[in-house]
Amino acid sequence: MVDKTKPWADWIREHDDPKYARSKPEALDDVWVLDLSYANMGGCFASSILAEMGANVIRVEPPGGDPARTYSPFGITHQGEGLGYLNEGRNKFHVTLNLETEEGRDLLKRLVDNRIDVLIETFKAGQMDEWGIGYRQLREIKPDIIYCAIYTYGQYGPKAECGKADADVVDQAMSGVTYVSGEYVEDPDNPQEWEVPTKQGNWMGWYCGGAYAAFSVLAALHYRHLTGKGQMIDVSPAEALGRMINYSLLYFHDTGQTVERVGNLDAGVFCYTYFKCKDGFCFLSGFSDVNWSLLTEVIERPDLRDQYPTIFERLKFENMKKAYKEIEKWTLDKEYQEIFERVMAANTRAKETGQGGVVVPGKVCSTWETQNTDNWWVRGSFEKFKDPVYGELTICNQPWKMTETPPRVKWICRPVGADNEFIYGTFLGLGTGDLKELEKAGII
Amino acid sequence: MAKSDYFQWAAETFALERIFEKDEALKDVKIVELCTLILGPATPAYLAEFGATVFKVELPGMGDTMRSLTPWGHFWKKQALGWLKEARNKYHIAIDVHHEEGKELFKRLVAQADVVVENLRAGTMDKWGIGYRDLVEINPGLIYIANNGFGQWGPYVERPSYDAIAQSESGMAWISGFPGRLPMKSGIWLCDYYGALKAAVGILAALHYRDRTGKGQYIEYSQAENIMRAMDWTWIYQGITGKGRDRYGNRDVAICPSDIFKSKDGELVALAATTDHQFKALCQAMDKPELAEDPRFLTNLERTKEENAQALLSVVREWVASRTWFEIDRLARKYGFAAEKVYSGRDHYYDEHFEVRGFKWHIDDPILGDGVEEGVAPKLSETPGRIKWMGKAVGFDNEYVFTKFLGLTVDELKALEEKGVIGKWADFIGRTPPDDWDGKSGKIFP
Repeated sequence: MVDKTKPWADWIREHDDPKYARSKPEALDDVWVLDLSYANMGGCFASSILAEMGANVIRVEPPGGDPARTYSPFGITHQGEGLGYLNEGRNKFHVTLNLETEEGRDLLKRLVDNRIDVLIETFKAGQMDEWGIGYRQLREIKPDIIYCAIYTYGQYGPKAECGKADADVVDQAMSGVTYVSGEYVEDPDNPQEWEVPTKQGNWMGWYCGGAYAAFSVLAALHYRHLTGKGQMIDVSPAEALGRMINYSLLYFHDTGQTVERVGNLDAGVFCYTYFKCKDGFCFLSGFSDVNWSLLTEVIERPDLRDQYPTIFERLKFENMKKAYKEIEKWTLDKEYQEIFERVMAANTRAKETGQGGVVVPGKVCSTWETQNTDNWWVRGSFEKFKDPVYGELTICNQPWKMTETPPRVKWICRPVGADNEFIYGTFLGLGTGDLKELEKAGII
Repeated sequence: MAKSDYFQWAAETFALERIFEKDEALKDVKIVELCTLILGPATPAYLAEFGATVFKVELPGMGDTMRSLTPWGHFWKKQALGWLKEARNKYHIAIDVHHEEGKELFKRLVAQADVVVENLRAGTMDKWGIGYRDLVEINPGLIYIANNGFGQWGPYVERPSYDAIAQSESGMAWISGFPGRLPMKSGIWLCDYYGALKAAVGILAALHYRDRTGKGQYIEYSQAENIMRAMDWTWIYQGITGKGRDRYGNRDVAICPSDIFKSKDGELVALAATTDHQFKALCQAMDKPELAEDPRFLTNLERTKEENAQALLSVVREWVASRTWFEIDRLARKYGFAAEKVYSGRDHYYDEHFEVRGFKWHIDDPILGDGVEEGVAPKLSETPGRIKWMGKAVGFDNEYVFTKFLGLTVDELKALEEKGVIGKWADFIGRTPPDDWDGKSGKIFP
């Protein structure tokens, strides 16, 4: 019998607080992954997800290291590593291997044969096949291998052969998400340089592609469990992010119109946006009739409720812009805390009186503020983690709080080739002498 | 191997025309969804594309609020476009779980399911007597995921949340947009859709563990925490430097060059060189090979230093402004750097590449007819994802699901319907079948 005497929040916290994570089993610790990502944080993120869930990931870099190790804001490094890469080295063994040499490719095949379940690569389409280590060749060695290729243009289709490189900014641009994001042109006669399609500030294309790669690998692992069959996976980060578009193709199909960018407004919901307040920006919502009604009550503007009584009035762009300005009059002279408290009090009142409706308040935090917000530390989202090589760093953990197999970070990163001896020694029986020879020949 | 041979093989291996002949990866997985809006419902939608059987449970009558979310209030055949995006391949049933008998029905469904997905406020399901503690007793191997804004415990547990709040409280909006301008919310429900995707990843990892051990588990999932994990170098950078991250427009301050520029013919062109090798090639393409020898630009770490980056980006900006998109594309193909124009919905619609790859997915839906949607993103050679139907009215599949899976008779269904335990759609836009529905099409059981 499950104990139901405790309040839910207490009970579940006892079972899923990440502070207990490191003493629990891992979901994927029977899985071996080879990650050949090259200059691509999407592949690295895919293998991070698997590694945080317990998979054994061998990161293969060219001798000298993956160019992604130099991805870092303003050229800042920590112990020689770029910060972008440092964030995605977690829990992975790092080896070097020169895939441009025949001997390097032979070693790769031996590793695959020895134990690999999943291979991730991010080369231009056809590169691995040309080297003789693509899916067609590796499945001869390991018929049930799950082979995941990540590339902007994918492995087939008219553009797959274009030869252009994968980059996050290109993935975001091609996804269609950039087109619908950013400030709209306020005055067509005087467009501003910032009134253009705008990408997400982070590597959203790569992260979304990486997440979809991990998703696909896990779905394929389940299918392998059912049937014993492996397969090949083709992930385009541009399509991965493009899949996240609210509505675009069907709207065009039906109306012949594209959905254009509307700044911080939303074509499908109003009120649902950020407002300037005295000490920053706040979010306020109120879409369905009952919620909208409560919002107009909070801001003491019942006239707005009468002016825009149904969602059809509220979903007209011109009306949105007008109503936005009216609501902002209320927020401008108030500090965020006051807005938050007044809204939450109104929510409670509406619940108690049976009037119903919820207005959801939120704060637009700077990332600095976010990193200094208790909530995320209490919940183990942020952690100061002491790595044996890289020292103490602030890291962000994966969001899943799992009762049986929670994700965790075991180490943050490893230097280039740091695990050559362990991996090649343990799995291929190569001794110190062999490794020296290989190093001299430029293979590792 | 010859490259052309590879591409032909890949085209045949992944061919759209053969998708429905192939198997489905999650064909044995049953999911019960008790969700509204996006973060919840989108989670099983991703899994339904790969064969999971998803029972979407809604309130009789008005169903999911999401059925009203559509751009500019424009409904297509009485369906909200925002809702259709996540309704694909699901069985749509309506049970009022506030009702005791409704709870019983819900539990009977869960008893034979593998996964439950819910996105109610923390503790709500528990309060209703259908929380994890109740359900695990009738189904010990159950995987249960609860998606919401701030999780099940902690200082923010009482706070309601939305996608836009996850974007704002995580700092995601803060780092998006132009310097000195407003923090920008994404033009899409990013933390919902991307949040749901990662929730599905969590389910699949738990499924792998259950395949090995038979054990299920509970997964607590906050969309704000999820997007924080996607914000690349932000946290390490702030920890090391003691400085906050800012927003930098379309420029990637960690890779240089990487930005969006305007071409001579007015296209917006995303262009990047992600390796030193690509940078050299770009310099050749720009007919400025000397740049690649300039000590300020030798490595990415040098190029990303503020002053150097400014200098280099202005050179690239000028160059892009002096070339048409056609010319830039040709050079990017020849020299192998990254360049692509900013695609609109129209561009997606008319792009042959996306058509061949099924990103633009055509469907002749039994109820809604001829539609086009964003298709399945990842392509799996043995078990390709697919869209079987787009979405159905509230309670549309009641007869099929309750008869086949719960063994109820037609009379029992009628009695439950009369008591309001189960039900169908209200006559309200977004909830009903389209006007031209013949009363039969799309029905599995009458």
